[in-house]
Amino acid sequence: MFGLIGHSTSFADARRKALELGYDHIAEGDLDVWCSAPPQLVEHVKVVSKAGNKIEGAYIDSCFVPEMLSRFKTARRKVLNAMELAQKKGINITALGGFTSIIFENFNLLEHRQVRNTTLDWSRFTTGNTHTAWVICRQLEINAPLVGIDLKKSKVAVVGATGDIGSAVCRWLSERTGVSELLLVARQQKPLLALQEELQGGRIMSIQEALPEADAVIWVASLPKTLDIEPSMLRSPCLMIDGGYPKNLDEKFAGSGVHVLKGGIVEFFEDIGWGMMELAEMEIPQRQMFACFAEAMILEFEKCHTNFSWGRNNITLKKMDFIGRASVEHGFSALKLKPELQTPVV
Amino acid sequence: MTLLESPRADVLEDSSSSQKGLPDFTTDEYKDAYSRINAIVIEGEKEAHDNYVSIGTLIPEQAEELKKLAMMELRHMKGFTACGRNLGVKADMEFAEKFFAPLHGNFQSALKVGDLTSCFLIQAILIEAFAISAYHVYIRVADPFAKKITENVVKDEYLHLNYGQEWLKANLETCKSDLVKANKENLPLIKSMLDQVADDAEVLQMDKEELMEEFMIAYQDSLLEIGLDSREIARMAIAAVV
Repeated sequence: MFGLIGHSTSFADARRKALELGYDHIAEGDLDVWCSAPPQLVEHVKVVSKAGNKIEGAYIDSCFVPEMLSRFKTARRKVLNAMELAQKKGINITALGGFTSIIFENFNLLEHRQVRNTTLDWSRFTTGNTHTAWVICRQLEINAPLVGIDLKKSKVAVVGATGDIGSAVCRWLSERTGVSELLLVARQQKPLLALQEELQGGRIMSIQEALPEADAVIWVASLPKTLDIEPSMLRSPCLMIDGGYPKNLDEKFAGSGVHVLKGGIVEFFEDIGWGMMELAEMEIPQRQMFACFAEAMILEFEKCHTNFSWGRNNITLKKMDFIGRASVEHGFSALKLKPELQTPVV
Repeated sequence: MTLLESPRADVLEDSSSSQKGLPDFTTDEYKDAYSRINAIVIEGEKEAHDNYVSIGTLIPEQAEELKKLAMMELRHMKGFTACGRNLGVKADMEFAEKFFAPLHGNFQSALKVGDLTSCFLIQAILIEAFAISAYHVYIRVADPFAKKITENVVKDEYLHLNYGQEWLKANLETCKSDLVKANKENLPLIKSMLDQVADDAEVLQMDKEELMEEFMIAYQDSLLEIGLDSREIARMAIAAVV
């Protein structure tokens, strides 16, 4: 069985959804009630892959909402309790979706392995980052030509280049895609230098310097609120892949010549009978989902019960090849730009 | 997914460094709060002992088994008494008796009319879940002596939480509506008990929010085990928040 740990995109959404699902007491409660609400296993689902493999899964809502981010202890408990529930239910491989893996990483939850009478077994969980990185790379490779960008002659900026997903994307673009130049953007200089050395290339730049030069921008960190950049300063065409969380780049940049694509999202080849992806505001909730969730499904299809994506900077090209091949084989495809948004290529 | 450039990530990192260490167990403020919390725990174990013995009178064929459970609760009571002694604190038993009085009264009324469903709900679900949740939170901030004792108690508590569950599970078909009714009458008492000790618990660095969450997890787990679905449990839990 695979598992997905997710959460609502806002407190208001969470209450609305809880009411729809019949979780009255949580729905009616204020934020304090939500802070002390247990995680809920809200849905079981059966899925058959394109290759014919049959699996079962469960969706666990951690009852976390982004409004709790400033409450460090609450956020930590939400993630640990949801993971404990997944393990107690005997789920083989569970993906940490949305803010779940971010909280796990930033709050150093590796040190909190004991949850009540359960010792968390890390091998049952995956961040899903390998699949997310692979999907983002494929999204760039597939969609760039559609908007008139020849990647071989293009500069591609990776914002958040030194993170787990960012560094994997850089490796892939440099080894496999073969872009003209990689522009490396991240907050800390030291890991940037290490990455540059590993890649044997790439130019370290500030975000303000990189954006006007880039033909394509991959965001695997969220947009800095303080960033002040005129869309007119960007190149045209420019393809932006929004791989951060939450996905809000289109509000800032979408416009003439700038194409924003939601990054790290995949579509399954047929409808899945679940209701929970509506929570994640997917456009086609019966088929679309975060690539990190899909990674848990793929690992279950493959009977590969291990923490495939775990820790920082462990994503190799070999692992991306494995998950990419399995992703296609089992019926997932990377989300594409909508046809009406594409510039005709002459 | 990373949030390296996000202002939200700054919030995450900043607040994570503000984690407190263990409380100072020697201050007057700590000992004063401990005198009531410790008393509640001792009284809770005593009530549990008495309640299991009483339940045994309603199910004579199980009386021996229940007696064993009752003796275990008595051992826990002695352990917690030692915890207070170790810190040089005299437990405020008068406070604790008043604290348990409403729940105690409801249990006695149910016992008198042979209402096993209410008896098990009060003792095996509510009191046990309240105790387990408090112990889980306490273990994280307890002094080393009390921590060890509490850890051993928790192991035992899981055993008899199951005992009450088994009875309710086996009889769910006939007792479900009574269970819902008894829950409506008794769950609000747990909420008000928690409110009453929130300030003292805070001195021991036990967050009210965390206590409530732990309680809801234990409560939900045992009701799920009995055979209720999560939506039914959500409706039952309303009684705790309104």
